[in-house]
Amino acid sequence: MTAAPVEVGRTGLDWTSLLRRYGWTTGVWLLLIALIAFYASTIPNFGSFQIASIAKNSLPLVYLAIAQAIIVIAGGIDLAVGSMLILTNAVAAQLMDGQSLGVSLVVAVLVILMAAAINGGVGWIIYVSRVPDIVVTLATLFIIAGLALIVLPSPGGGTSDGFRAIFTGSTSGTGSNFWPALVMMFVPMLAAARWMKHSRTGLSLYATGSDSTAAYLSGVGTLKAKVVSYAVGGAFAALGGLASLAITGSGESRFATASNFTLRSVAAIVLGGVALTGGVGSVVGAAAAGIVLFVLSPVLSAMGVDPNTAQVIQGALIVLVMMVAGVVELRRERAE
Amino acid sequence: MTDTPLLDATGISKSFGTVVALRGASLQVEPGEIHALLGANGAGKSTLVKILSGVHRPDAGEIKVHGKKFDIRTPRIAADTGLGTVFQDPALIPDLTVRENLRLTDISEDEVTTWLEHMKVREVDLDVLIRELPLPTLRLLDLARVLARRPSLLMLDEITAALTADQAEQVFDVMKEWKDRGNSVLIITHRLGEVMRMSDRATVLRDGREVEVCVPRDVGESGLVRAMLGEAAKAMVEGATGMERLAGAPIALEASGLSSSDAVSDVSFQLGAGEVLGVAALEDQGQDRLFELLSGSRRPDAGRIVLAGGEELDARSPYDAVRRGVVLVPSDRLQALLPKRPIRENLTTPLYNRVGSWFGLARDEKARVDSAIRRLSIDTRAGKQAGRLSGGNQQKVVVGRWLASGFRVLLCFDPTRGIDVGTKQQIYELLRELADDGAAVLLYTSELAEIPLVCDRVLVMYDGELVEELPASEATEQALLTAAHGISEEVA
Repeated sequence: MTAAPVEVGRTGLDWTSLLRRYGWTTGVWLLLIALIAFYASTIPNFGSFQIASIAKNSLPLVYLAIAQAIIVIAGGIDLAVGSMLILTNAVAAQLMDGQSLGVSLVVAVLVILMAAAINGGVGWIIYVSRVPDIVVTLATLFIIAGLALIVLPSPGGGTSDGFRAIFTGSTSGTGSNFWPALVMMFVPMLAAARWMKHSRTGLSLYATGSDSTAAYLSGVGTLKAKVVSYAVGGAFAALGGLASLAITGSGESRFATASNFTLRSVAAIVLGGVALTGGVGSVVGAAAAGIVLFVLSPVLSAMGVDPNTAQVIQGALIVLVMMVAGVVELRRERAE
Repeated sequence: MTDTPLLDATGISKSFGTVVALRGASLQVEPGEIHALLGANGAGKSTLVKILSGVHRPDAGEIKVHGKKFDIRTPRIAADTGLGTVFQDPALIPDLTVRENLRLTDISEDEVTTWLEHMKVREVDLDVLIRELPLPTLRLLDLARVLARRPSLLMLDEITAALTADQAEQVFDVMKEWKDRGNSVLIITHRLGEVMRMSDRATVLRDGREVEVCVPRDVGESGLVRAMLGEAAKAMVEGATGMERLAGAPIALEASGLSSSDAVSDVSFQLGAGEVLGVAALEDQGQDRLFELLSGSRRPDAGRIVLAGGEELDARSPYDAVRRGVVLVPSDRLQALLPKRPIRENLTTPLYNRVGSWFGLARDEKARVDSAIRRLSIDTRAGKQAGRLSGGNQQKVVVGRWLASGFRVLLCFDPTRGIDVGTKQQIYELLRELADDGAAVLLYTSELAEIPLVCDRVLVMYDGELVEELPASEATEQALLTAAHGISEEVA
């Protein structure tokens, strides 16, 4: 059948169409590279230590951005990803304290499964009750953060040195070995991206977020899509909690951390090209935007910008990117 | 033909709230036939197809496929049962590529491309996003996708609606081939010519029941139309005389050469003050778009709309149109109302834009609202929220708020959809009265029988063009339906 001399299914690359589809993601990665290059040129001793520092310290936000991206692409939004981060951080810190690497790894797996189960349940509640995602997860934002405070009322707990090295590259959490952090960043990110775009379940998340009626009519299980998106999102939020435990070496439950991380995860996906209306965007773009948001503060302080002004600049950047994208989209529509 | 029908649906009933769509309808499709499902607008065709596709669940009734009873709860189950549907709106995901859409539903790319080649669809890049493809291509792609699942019954809901003539021919070929392979096809279409040519048998629905099962070639187009209409509808508005167009009345609105992408092409007409001008059309013939253009929701690609005194409408938004006195009564009343707010507040919404309204309404405006309520005999006790009123009373509130704010041209788009007979009559009487007081009314209604009762003149729209203009005295339902099917008079 492939020998048919008709143009159906031709595989020739159409650059304009490729650029249109992946342009945003590419743009965010270019922005990130430009920012890091600029940062490297402003400080005299840029090297592997800085790379390791950026890679590992941006991990929690990158994981949360991926979590939020998966949920939003499937047509939802989860205001409780930050709470899930502190809950998993607290639980892991309590259970891993003084344990060996082997026990820590078992705990890590259990914590990820717990977060996936809780969040999958949240997705189920949203679907069955028909209460909007933003309302249900606003409630779980408080509930899950409260649970974290019950588990770990004051900063404490700990983890094994080996576990710290998995995310940070060194048993003390600081060092110049950037490979483990990069692996922990790119492997889950690319795995999630591949799963989203190449498995039937992953595609059903895009389908449900893009047009839930058409998805239902083509036989996609929309309940399954909702539950799976929240469960996988919860698992990524748990990775964020584990990463922050590995970075600091001890646990801490603070409501401010939870809400701050949630808001930054939403900022990251918007900057990363995920449409809040669902169905559009990629976890790769959202992850890059997560790093951009993290890198922005050292870059701005290297430029001598006052930290308070830096906040304003971060916000302005999001609006600016959205406006530029809007103008590009408008011009394209006019052109058609 | 064999003893057990391929599809045997009996006693199917379905209501949506108070609206009864199907009242025990039945449909039998034999193996190896092309069967047409016919009926006027609102007869229940779409609901029946949606039930057979697992989109809606019937309130009562039984569906057997090859003699075996099935409970078709979801579209997935329908597909697994061998019932494949191409819906009016293609069930493809706009933000995914063609390839991803196929992978999503686990359908072989090879089989789909073979069918597309079969239908002579070229240049479909499997890596292009669905939203970048034109509607006709999507229809054919959706058809190819459904065929790749090899359904024993292929259901096509108005598939030819957006297709060009040669694309439609390709679809007819596919239908024949599918039948020759021993499968069956159910077509739902308004185009009687296609029915005559393609179908072996037809089931006609009227008011949610099947009223006739026939062989189209035997009864002819006129026989089908008769079956769809039933006995001549009774006169509803008593004493509505066939008021001819008032000669020499001033023109309230003149449209010339209106076009909007594929939906409306080169539509020109004049609407006189004191006239009720009807628009008759089957579903999706561009009437929606025409009303969008006139009410300022969308700007035309070409053409002009001129109001009395030579003022050009040139509306960029409904707000502009309303300011110039061109107002819309849509069929979906809740879309036009603030359902959670009191009736009075709904009546005054158009007045909000006036100077002074920030500090409450002026006294004479209050008086106008009161007079609108009286005139429409709206039952204001019914509740504090407009959304709790009956459909008919809601529609009266929509008309009433334009009465309170004043208007020159009233555009009514299917204002009596789903409204009971008594309220319908009140609304039609109201439209007549408004016209007699000098207003210009443009009325589209999906109920053709009512057009001659309220209108002075009728325009018939088909495929985006005005194909016929009839005075009320000649606008019998039969004449309208014939014209609305795009059939020229000589044939009918």
